[in-house]
Amino acid sequence: MPETSRIRTVSIITLLGAMLFCAFFLALSLGPTTVPFSAFIPNDIVGMIVTLFTGGDISGFFPDHTSYLIIYSIRLPRVIAAILVGAGLAAAGAAMQGLFRNSMADPYIIGTSSGGAFGAAFTIVFMGGLFLPVFAFIGAIGATFLVYIIATRQGRASVETLLLTGIAISMFFSSILSFLMYSAGKSLHQIVFWLMGGFWNVSWSDVWLGLLIPVGGIFLIALARDLNILSLGEEDALHLGVNVEQFKRVLLFISAAVTAVAVSIAGSIGFIGLITPHVMRLIVGPDHRVLFPASMIAGGLFLLMADTLTRSFLGEMPVGVITSFVGAPFFIMLLRRRMRA
Amino acid sequence: MIDVNGLSAGYGGDDIIREITLWAEKGEFVGIIGPNGSGKTTLLKTLSRVLERSGGVVTLEGRILSDYGQKELARIMSVVPQETGMNFSYTVKDIVMMGRFPYQERFKKETADDYRIVREAMEVTNVIHLKDRAVTEISGGERQRVIIARALAQQPKVILLDEATAHLDINHQVEILSIIRDLGENVTKIGVFHDLNLAAEFCDRIVLMGEGQVRAIGTPAEVLTIKNLRDEYGITAMVQSNPVTGRPLIMPLSESVPSVLRGVRIHIISGGGSGAGLMYTLAAAGCLLTAGVLSPMDSDFAAASQLGIPCITVPAFAPITPAVCGALGAYLDEADVIILTAMPIGVGNLPNIQALTSDRRSRLILFVPPGGEFTDCTPAGDGSFLAAIRDAGCPVVSSRNDLYREVEKRVITRKSRK
Repeated sequence: MPETSRIRTVSIITLLGAMLFCAFFLALSLGPTTVPFSAFIPNDIVGMIVTLFTGGDISGFFPDHTSYLIIYSIRLPRVIAAILVGAGLAAAGAAMQGLFRNSMADPYIIGTSSGGAFGAAFTIVFMGGLFLPVFAFIGAIGATFLVYIIATRQGRASVETLLLTGIAISMFFSSILSFLMYSAGKSLHQIVFWLMGGFWNVSWSDVWLGLLIPVGGIFLIALARDLNILSLGEEDALHLGVNVEQFKRVLLFISAAVTAVAVSIAGSIGFIGLITPHVMRLIVGPDHRVLFPASMIAGGLFLLMADTLTRSFLGEMPVGVITSFVGAPFFIMLLRRRMRA
Repeated sequence: MIDVNGLSAGYGGDDIIREITLWAEKGEFVGIIGPNGSGKTTLLKTLSRVLERSGGVVTLEGRILSDYGQKELARIMSVVPQETGMNFSYTVKDIVMMGRFPYQERFKKETADDYRIVREAMEVTNVIHLKDRAVTEISGGERQRVIIARALAQQPKVILLDEATAHLDINHQVEILSIIRDLGENVTKIGVFHDLNLAAEFCDRIVLMGEGQVRAIGTPAEVLTIKNLRDEYGITAMVQSNPVTGRPLIMPLSESVPSVLRGVRIHIISGGGSGAGLMYTLAAAGCLLTAGVLSPMDSDFAAASQLGIPCITVPAFAPITPAVCGALGAYLDEADVIILTAMPIGVGNLPNIQALTSDRRSRLILFVPPGGEFTDCTPAGDGSFLAAIRDAGCPVVSSRNDLYREVEKRVITRKSRK
């Protein structure tokens, strides 16, 4: 890689990182009650970290106890979760677009979101929403697994069959979901809210679960070179030494796991996984070694900003509404550009 | 280098290719030809392990093909497909660098060697000036050169080409095949060809496939014969020798000659180029031809010798001796049909006409194409010999199609008489 293009990609990623860094603090500060930045800073950082790791109470290190509660118990987990979910959806989207060789693919394309929605609706209707993230996760992973099993024949799963099977399974789960909603009675609004996606009841336990997302991201970056080659076509990839079927299995598993984690935290938030990799590909190019980290930062940034917007100014409207509202016209714009090209 | 022994393979349990046995020596360029559905692409896909074999053995450098790991194989064998789908705008150098993938370890960066090899590959295929362009924005010919550069970056010992130039213009076809041919002694090339003339021009040996089996293997001249083309492709074709390279040059003819003419013995008496066209079409149709008497200066003689038609000759301006007349008589008596084409008749070739005795006239057809006519250039100049022939009631035809019909009629009546 000549120096000029490397400098370009490094500076773009640095810029995105810096924007995410600023947005992070801005998001902590903004909300129904604005907290000044000074309230974030503990008066003894080293002491606080030591206390944190020994499991003690760190609230005493902060100047204002109310601000501490707002920031560290409510906003911080939510902000981190939004970043992680955004990053996860964008990374999984980039992986699916590369695998399906189609920049219109998204992380939900192989049934992950409808499976997750089914799992969530199931526990809402029959178990009063108990273990909702677990059920959503199982539903999401299960649907993807089902798609893979159905599409595989003699150890091979063609991407065309995966795509069509994904559509069929999604429709199947959607119909069950519709039935559950039809018979949900009073808990209908809970399902609808979950479907629209949001972070209003996120807690630290969701953040711990969400840490699986950067782990998955690292795996995806490790597979980036293989995915670059696979995005030229499966036969070409085979001839260049990629063990195609095994690679597809690994890639599908990681991206489904990342998506399932994201879905179980925040419901099925649309358009992040479609738009972010698409836009980042226009900016940093198609090389997945750059595209994955760039999409993850940009996806985190986008979802954080959207969530902060709804939390601070729009009275907790589900964030999925905003991403779709902004995302759809943007997508149409890209589509028109493509048609002209 | 590559040994294929009794190889069978196909899709979903049905074998498309059966019992294929062939080999390629180190550095050789082997072409695979055959009509659509003959299994040539299936063969190539089996050699590149896209398809699994159902029987037989392929060895590559003495090792069984299926024993190679995927990356290991990619270090020895590269494949240039007909077309590569380019959905994402990688730059040319990114694509060529992908050819280094089989040599790279995960998490390791590209080495200086990788960059050097990629650069050299782009230079050989003449795409170095495009290195920073997106592959989605360059022309089809340029893109195919990029794919070849990628294949070269793999530093393969074998390159497989699956109709690698089929979609390109003739200039790019020649350019790309020249690059591949000139890769040298260390790279064995095996290519599927649609275009027989390109195969003849570039390959050291040719494998002709038909209905999933090998029908012929040999040098282009050995394989690309009128008979093989007729049997496998079902075409009437002219096979000449390329005057520049001496390789076979194939020209399919649109004219169809009735298949019942195959094996019919025909003697053609012609001159001054009046019989050359007939010789090509009748030979392509599988007739057993003889010709003469012709002078070696005659263009009909050139056609006859190119087609390998037995031909009685006398030097120009030399008289036709009784011995020659005897040979001619033997040919005439063997022939099922005798064709006499319109030409000027002089003292030199008059014995040709005189040899047409009344018995032989019963098998005679006169071919007088538009613009052709019998002219009497003998000292007597009265056309009496022509009158004699005409009086015998021989059919006179003016087009080749009528001629074929007339020959066909003769063959059928002769058969029914038997």
